[in-house]
Amino acid sequence: MKPNFTQKVTNWGNFPVVEKEMRSEDSFKKIKEFVLNHNEIIARGNGRCYGDASLGESIFSTKKLNKFINFDRLNGVIECESGVLLSDVLEIAVPQGYFLYVTPGTKFISVGGAIASDVHGKNHHAEGCFSEYVIEFKLMTESGEIITCSREENSEKFWATIGGMGLTGIILTAKFKLKNIESAYIRQESIKADNLDEIFKLFDESENWTYTVAWIDCLQKGKNIGRSILMRGEHAFQHELPQKFSKTPLRLKKKLSPTVPFYFPGFVLNALTVKIFNWLYYKKQSKKEVKNFIDYETFFYPLDAINDWNKIYGKSGFIQYQMVIPKEAGKEGMKRILETIAKSGNGSFLAVLKLFGKHNPEAYNSFPVEGYTLALDFKVNSKLKKLVDQLDAIVQEFGGRIYLTKDSMSRSSLTNYLKNIQNPKFVSLQHKRIINNNS
Amino acid sequence: MIVLGSTSEVAQAFVEKALQEGEKFEKIYLFTSNKETTERFARHIDVKFLQQAEVIELDLTKEIDYNRFDNINSNVLFCAVGYLGEGTEEGLYDNRNTERIIDINYSKLVPVMNYFAHKFESRRSGTIIGLSSVAGDRGRQSNFIYGSAKAAFTAYLSGLRNYLFDKKVHVLTIKPGFMATKMTEGLPLNPKLTATPKQAAACIYKAFKKEKNVAYVLPVWSIIMMIIRNIPEFIFKKLKL
Repeated sequence: MKPNFTQKVTNWGNFPVVEKEMRSEDSFKKIKEFVLNHNEIIARGNGRCYGDASLGESIFSTKKLNKFINFDRLNGVIECESGVLLSDVLEIAVPQGYFLYVTPGTKFISVGGAIASDVHGKNHHAEGCFSEYVIEFKLMTESGEIITCSREENSEKFWATIGGMGLTGIILTAKFKLKNIESAYIRQESIKADNLDEIFKLFDESENWTYTVAWIDCLQKGKNIGRSILMRGEHAFQHELPQKFSKTPLRLKKKLSPTVPFYFPGFVLNALTVKIFNWLYYKKQSKKEVKNFIDYETFFYPLDAINDWNKIYGKSGFIQYQMVIPKEAGKEGMKRILETIAKSGNGSFLAVLKLFGKHNPEAYNSFPVEGYTLALDFKVNSKLKKLVDQLDAIVQEFGGRIYLTKDSMSRSSLTNYLKNIQNPKFVSLQHKRIINNNS
Repeated sequence: MIVLGSTSEVAQAFVEKALQEGEKFEKIYLFTSNKETTERFARHIDVKFLQQAEVIELDLTKEIDYNRFDNINSNVLFCAVGYLGEGTEEGLYDNRNTERIIDINYSKLVPVMNYFAHKFESRRSGTIIGLSSVAGDRGRQSNFIYGSAKAAFTAYLSGLRNYLFDKKVHVLTIKPGFMATKMTEGLPLNPKLTATPKQAAACIYKAFKKEKNVAYVLPVWSIIMMIIRNIPEFIFKKLKL
């Protein structure tokens, strides 16, 4: 049998599915050979982006670059290969009293992916993007050369690669800072908001909290539009923890995580079931305000507790739509967006709303700009393209843009914002789609 | 722990699994044909588990100086040495390929295994884990040079288990079935029959703790191989397996 490396590849949204060559190597020498012998290469970590960002004619999977290199336990600096997952980092960091400065809503992404997407989290307004804590990384360029990039060394490549979606080369290793924590728990407050005005006010009032995010019911109409629950949190100090947690504050009990066993049939998710789910979620919290302590897994990664949750959207897959609208135009823009979604009936579970802080001007390829960001899932069906088009038009009107890590069909005027990434060697299907739509 | 074939992803996953489960080893000796990648693994377990490890280059196809291993001792030996070679028709009639498959999987490996088995025997304790293959259960046209070498290795492990039984050393034979590793990358394997290195490591660890004698990684393989072993030869010889 002769090996054939062409295979079906798809990312977390199960859309699109392509048949392309995908290789994985752990020796730098072999990676160099791969780079020299292939064209239109794109690196792929754990495939947790949603659309076609890490798909290409030749895919290099970093899954075998999964080793730690160093952990400075005194200063909280970690160095590892790019295929190491954030979950792996947490596994060794948390018991030592360290946490990731910035984490997205899943811990199952690779470190390389975190840099290429310059991921953000619930603390963007306070602590910025992942890149702020990256000290340096090693990048393999089109010639197969390995260069060290930092703010001082090869700084041009450093900044182009941050948020550069893998279009500048293959990130091989990275070194980044961790933050100190006293416990693995979060002091959380959840506050219900009846409408958009209330939730926007809550975000402004919560400015001084490290973590803020809201779950929003995007099927509400009229005066209920923007019905949501704001969650805000701080890493809990040991002394404030309830006794059952304070004895071993950095150790969490192992939890069983269920697995979605198969792709749900298409009819399971429809406007009615989503409405019922959203209603239950909102009613579950009977009080206006709840204060409690929860472990970091529940606070940051509620969906990671269900393995393969993407299968509930069925075999046709789903997209995640995430855009940002600048703050000044935020309220009006968000209202129009929510109205359009509610009217379409193509609702989504757990749409997430957040207020981003200032854009870091140095990290010019980074997605977050100051304003409101909304992320929601849509099942792929025949009406989806039209809905995305309508939403894109509103985002454009209000001067916003789309998060490339989740994009798979938005118009290129909202996605063609990367700079200094022209490089015929490293090209993703997403990048080709964006460029071709432009001309 | 002594690991032979440390570049193997299954071997590395097993080491991690054992450390995660809290097994303690004074030192882990990583024998390898590829120093660069194995040194990265040694560092990785040092960072992750503060586990001391030593990387030792070992090329089975060359003369081996056993004096180098004088001070090496442990209570667990994990052997993941395996070389698939070319299973094609050209591969079959290429003597270098055939010899290499037999050498690495059996003839040059067994003296090394014996060397360490002898140390275990003198100490009267420990476990030897050997990764053989379902390919050794019955020779099939698609890879029978590899299969026959693994059949010999399976027989060796079985004999060693018998020999060491009253010397208080346990021998575990693992028959992995399909695995998603470097060795099989790009081959069209049915995902339902294919284990990831992590899954394999978890299963091997379980078999190790339970002192199993022979274990298949995925249970379905014991059924498949039972059927394959029991097909009468006059039918089997006509099959394209």
